[in-house]
Amino acid sequence: MKQAWRWLLVAAALVLLPRAALAQSPKKKPGKKPAAPTAQPAAGGEIELDAPAAPAAPAAPADTGAAPAAPGGPTDAAPPPPAGGGAGGICDIDPTACPKQEDITKAAKKEVNAEVYAVQQIYALRYHRLEIQPWWSVTLNDQFVSHPGPGLGINYYITNVLAVGVSGNYYGGLNEDSDFNFQNRRAAYIAVPLNEYSVGWNANFTYVPVYGKFAGFGNFIFSYDAYLLGGIGMLWTKPIAVIDPDNRSFTYSGKLDVDLGIGLRIFFNRWFALNLEIRDYIYNEQLENTQVAATQAEQLNPSTWYGANSLTNNVQAQVGVSVFLPFGWEYRLPK
Amino acid sequence: MSAIKRTAMMRRLLTTIGLGIVGLLALGSRAEAQEIQLTGPLAGAPPARHLRLYRDGRFEIAPTMSFTLLDEYERTILFGGRAQYNLTDWLGIGVWGAAGISSPTSLTNEISTSAPQSVETQVNIPNCSPAGSAYTARGSAGCPSFANQTGKINWVFAPQVQVVPFRGKLAIFQKIFVDTDAYLHAGVAFVGLTERADCGPGTGGPSSCSNVPLVNGGANSFGTTGSMAIAPTFGLGLNFYLASFVALGVEYRALPFDWNRSGFDSRGAGPNNNFPDDKITSADQTLKFNQMVTISLGFSLPTKPKVSD
Repeated sequence: MKQAWRWLLVAAALVLLPRAALAQSPKKKPGKKPAAPTAQPAAGGEIELDAPAAPAAPAAPADTGAAPAAPGGPTDAAPPPPAGGGAGGICDIDPTACPKQEDITKAAKKEVNAEVYAVQQIYALRYHRLEIQPWWSVTLNDQFVSHPGPGLGINYYITNVLAVGVSGNYYGGLNEDSDFNFQNRRAAYIAVPLNEYSVGWNANFTYVPVYGKFAGFGNFIFSYDAYLLGGIGMLWTKPIAVIDPDNRSFTYSGKLDVDLGIGLRIFFNRWFALNLEIRDYIYNEQLENTQVAATQAEQLNPSTWYGANSLTNNVQAQVGVSVFLPFGWEYRLPK
Repeated sequence: MSAIKRTAMMRRLLTTIGLGIVGLLALGSRAEAQEIQLTGPLAGAPPARHLRLYRDGRFEIAPTMSFTLLDEYERTILFGGRAQYNLTDWLGIGVWGAAGISSPTSLTNEISTSAPQSVETQVNIPNCSPAGSAYTARGSAGCPSFANQTGKINWVFAPQVQVVPFRGKLAIFQKIFVDTDAYLHAGVAFVGLTERADCGPGTGGPSSCSNVPLVNGGANSFGTTGSMAIAPTFGLGLNFYLASFVALGVEYRALPFDWNRSGFDSRGAGPNNNFPDDKITSADQTLKFNQMVTISLGFSLPTKPKVSD
């Protein structure tokens, strides 16, 4: 029974402890005596220079190696009055560093070149956070074959505006030869070489030059940023046999690509955002040969299947989400 | 009831009460913190004060330049303008109009130069052989080019409304700050087109869609005619306010409607009219989700915007 009461008291004390931190302290009434100075830190502890001046503690004997005396102990004697008007803080620690009145006057006249950021305490900070970015992509510039598919990007922000990362796309089985292409072949007897994709990956740098806020319907506010990215990678493609499908059978091969993109992130909270991106994958495509060899033996020879190379831009729109890890953070300094 | 049992029961009761108090106190902590926020000086305040109302009660005129996307046979650049009156800061009514200049795509050039001139294709591409025989030279004088028959957007006129749900600002390199808004627009578009004219028996045009009668002194079946399509138009855009009366805009617009972009005979016979019928008619028009990107430079009057409370 006695133990139960003890547990109850401990629990109540534990709950009341954070309450004191959460609640604001009541306003001080004018004329009332200021609160007692904060206690001096223990040896080796942090010193709060901005704290109100505290009475100087008696100097510990040098090289004694003795632990600081407990409060209320024999060394907890009345402190001597501070020297020099009681500047406290740095003056007590190192009197040579104590600012003199004339220095302060000079310092006041000195031009300050403080670095003040235009946007302080950004709502969705990226610095040292990992971004996981799944998306769905659709082709924007190929009216003959579309290459939709899922993708995933992982970026780590080295600074708040610069990230390194990798991304990948999967297109297998999702490439779609358009009806327009069929109509064109049937009407004009012109077959345009077509290619399909399997998979691709890229290593990228992401740079975030634009950050902003929107008020939605004059009611709520959300943050967004715009970014640029670029990198290199590999894209596995192969021609679709449309010129001589009876004899030609192509296999996927990897091509070096350069990707350039621009994107927009709309933050719903500090770690979750909607992502819209347009990315151009530039690579050298190997097309199907539009000429068919004369003899059956030559037609079966794979060396006759490939035609010209063509610098290709695969521009795709990517719609997805961004999840930032860790989910939260705390600013070290107030606003 | 034994003393041991009573003690155990009491312990459980006290533990339960204790946990309940802990829970209530924990709830109280959160509620109190929230209370401070609600009764603070910003309680009930609007999200933005002294907001520059760039649109409210202002007339805007904006020269525009539009570029069509995912073109099959012809690319079009449209030059025009938008005139708009903003009833409020979030709603405007106006018109957009533009005239287009078209240029052939590489596919059109490929067909013009490489498509076989044969009996199989003579309804779809000009065959300039006097005898109508296959695989003859092209480009002779008086022989129409394939690029002539392709569909083209000549002009667009679209009464529309703009709704502006989002209003904000952005920082570029933490140095440049631009007020911006995002809007949606929707309306009805009247689109002036050039398409291949009807041909074939019973269409009112040349009785044959082949070019062979032309080179034999007959009518040209690859001529074009003007038409107008009426279509919904919608999209979204961003305005960046460079100054109190100047805004740079980027806009996406969709204009879905049926038209015959190639001038081919691709439909009109067979199941669901999915097969050629040797005639060019409205049956050969297919739905295209026409898309374009527009950039604009808007000027607003009066030059000084209102400012909110």
